[in-house]
Amino acid sequence: MSRNPVWRESLAVFFFDGHGYQVYFYLLAILAPVEFLSLYVPSLDAQKWTGSASLFKVSAVTVLLLLIYFSMRVANQEFASWRFKPLRHWLREQGQGAASVIQGQLAFLSAHIGLSLLLCAPLLAWAGAISRTPLERVALTFLLLSFYGLAYGVWGLAALALWERRVENRQVFIRCLFVTFVILSALFYLPLNPVGFLLAYLSRQELPAMTLFGFAWPAPWAHFSFHVAFAAGGLALHRWGVRREADS
Amino acid sequence: MIEPRIGFRGVFQLGRPFPLEVELSNSGAPAEGVLEVQVWKGGATKGGAPFLVNYRRDVFLPGQARKTVHFTVDPDFISRPMAIGFTGPSVRTIKEVDLRRYFAPGPLLLLLSESHLLAPFTDAPQSRLIAMSPGELAPDPRALLGVSHIILYDQSLRDLSRGQFFALDTWITAGGSLVIIGSLNFALYQEAQLSRLLPVRVTGTRRIEFAPPAAKGARPTKVAGVLAQEARLLNGKVLAEADGMPIVVEASRGRGRITYLALDIGRPPLSHWEGLHGYLRHLLTPRESEDVAPRSEWSDAVFAQLVASPTFISTYVPFASLFFAILIYLAGIALIPWLGQRFRWTLRTMLCALVAFVGAGTVIGYLHFLRGGNIPDGVLMSSTVLESSGDGYVEAQANLALFSTQPRPYDLRMERGWMELTPVSSRLRENSEPALVHQEGGGASRYHLPLREWDYRLFRMRRVDRFPLNVQFETLGDKLTMRIDNQSNNDLINCWLLVPGQRFELGQIARGESWTKIFPLRRDARASGDPARPADVSFRDLSFADKTRDILFHSSFFPRGGEARWASGAAVFFAWVKQPEARVHVDDPRIQTQDFALFRAIVPLGGEEEE
Repeated sequence: MSRNPVWRESLAVFFFDGHGYQVYFYLLAILAPVEFLSLYVPSLDAQKWTGSASLFKVSAVTVLLLLIYFSMRVANQEFASWRFKPLRHWLREQGQGAASVIQGQLAFLSAHIGLSLLLCAPLLAWAGAISRTPLERVALTFLLLSFYGLAYGVWGLAALALWERRVENRQVFIRCLFVTFVILSALFYLPLNPVGFLLAYLSRQELPAMTLFGFAWPAPWAHFSFHVAFAAGGLALHRWGVRREADS
Repeated sequence: MIEPRIGFRGVFQLGRPFPLEVELSNSGAPAEGVLEVQVWKGGATKGGAPFLVNYRRDVFLPGQARKTVHFTVDPDFISRPMAIGFTGPSVRTIKEVDLRRYFAPGPLLLLLSESHLLAPFTDAPQSRLIAMSPGELAPDPRALLGVSHIILYDQSLRDLSRGQFFALDTWITAGGSLVIIGSLNFALYQEAQLSRLLPVRVTGTRRIEFAPPAAKGARPTKVAGVLAQEARLLNGKVLAEADGMPIVVEASRGRGRITYLALDIGRPPLSHWEGLHGYLRHLLTPRESEDVAPRSEWSDAVFAQLVASPTFISTYVPFASLFFAILIYLAGIALIPWLGQRFRWTLRTMLCALVAFVGAGTVIGYLHFLRGGNIPDGVLMSSTVLESSGDGYVEAQANLALFSTQPRPYDLRMERGWMELTPVSSRLRENSEPALVHQEGGGASRYHLPLREWDYRLFRMRRVDRFPLNVQFETLGDKLTMRIDNQSNNDLINCWLLVPGQRFELGQIARGESWTKIFPLRRDARASGDPARPADVSFRDLSFADKTRDILFHSSFFPRGGEARWASGAAVFFAWVKQPEARVHVDDPRIQTQDFALFRAIVPLGGEEEE
């Protein structure tokens, strides 16, 4: 992987040139005040223990929203976009294969998600300790966050591969996708929504099963089936977009 | 093999606890295991989700042997079967019992008689009379809660075990009715066990002429040559006399009563008397004046107020530590890339430094916040209303709240004398509640239950307790005389007397203190007697320095809007018990306990009253 030029280019832009630091700055600059205030504000009230009780839920949901949003934007090369070379350059001028480009882009998306979670880890772990959340639930929350980051992030790659030269189209598409699937989906069927599912998991609530074609699907089943299919769809589109660029 | 024996000879009152005997027979090698009875509680009728209660007992079963284990079980609904299972290392057997075949809708009457001379004499449609021997009596007072009367005739209690006698005595004190019918064998009534219950001292028998009370409009009748026991009154009230002997004597014992009938109704001529059924029915009818004390409120709404009070749980909120931890962390995170650029670290070195810093920060911070502040694992709060029953006994309605800050199991240990422990169903919860496990052993009752973090569960408990505080009221014209004698082990604080239109602060009544005071009564306020006038007895303006007491008083013991219930021409005396003894324990120093108790006496101002 270290020889993959797409991967190396992403690392150089984000970390050597420092264009990616802003993403992690935004992430921590939003998460830290949200976490602190959600503990501090209820402590002004008589029922001050409620701040401690819900601290991990609030923090985990904040990380979830930020992680999905920034993963999609990073994958879509919205930060320092002028510094990234186009697909045509790698595929035709550098003679890289489509598989190598896909691999490089996916590896960088995974590295971004891993680094984001690493940076959020202390804040989440502290919130878990203050709210007395069992350690296994904290650990599973990290797994869920990684899963959502990847499942939604690949749609940023898909958008990049499909409309590389139409930057505004890509940006609008990514934001619409985020609002529809991460926020509005809660209005139609809560178990499909990642925020609703995460909160239900942390609160140990049972979500209603989904009845489809006369068969009742348990909520976790419906949720993960949908997200796996969603991620697979994004991956397939990304693959198809890169290959199309290679073949054209 | 499991062989259950349900209720009293196969009958129990629906909605009340009942005895269950489980006979285990082992035809193989010795076995050690757990015998468990599973019943359902809660459900739609209780306004919450159904949940399981497991009654558990550790059992050792020798080879080729039988063993009988006694339980008292209390299902809320019987549409689901009761499951009885024995589980050991090498054995697992289970039996399901459909309880619908065994229930009676009304309370039961138990007849304890050796002579079998008494024919079934009750024709009350809701009651069932069950003849049994004293040896079959359950050794647990809670098992008798579905019984309204126990009738003793020609019966020795010599063979009752200590546990059985204690159960009988506690059941009476908690509101049961014992009817002792005299017989020719008067020596049985002079035995020590029975003498402790009798309100008279029996000395012999003789034949008398008995004149039963005539029905309205009917001619008075007399039955000659009736066998009756000669007896001398010890306590209680003589309700009927004949030939200068007490015939019917009634004595109260706590909230219950003992009725003594001196006549031998199992032998002629009374056994052939056609009016016997009606006469006994009159004797077994509950008193009309048996009023139930107003129940305190105990719900999610009351608990929400309590938990909002800073005095309920002084939770450590580490916002200052978190603030500095976040600052240090952000500074460290910013420092690593700066150092990396300044000293030209490779990406690998920067990543290693970052992982080390984040890892150390995560672990140190996690341990600090997890252990900081000494937050208790949970809080067990009990708030109790003590209603005087006379004879130095009180009926205690205790409301319990168990609040947990940790996901962990809890173990409640009840002291002797408790009669009922009912989980309060929560309408706020959509999911089913986790099962409760009730375990008896080593002379103590225990309830085990798990709670999640920041979770709670509410219970109601009833028990009968000794609390020798005597309060008497006497109204003479426009004056109310109050006598109080506090022989209990506790001081009383914040004592108040409320009468229609007025209230008097009585301050503190120390243990051992007794006094008599006279209070003026407002003639106009008493005369009105209108319960719709909340101004008559108002609790609204009363407040207490302790916020938790304030909430309990106004929301639980005397809920706002419910003044009319206590206001209609009654005197209300109440006092907080200082440092009340805990009757439910959690043997764990990480769980805080808070106990509150209020003594309450509500007396109608009709004339001389005693509490």
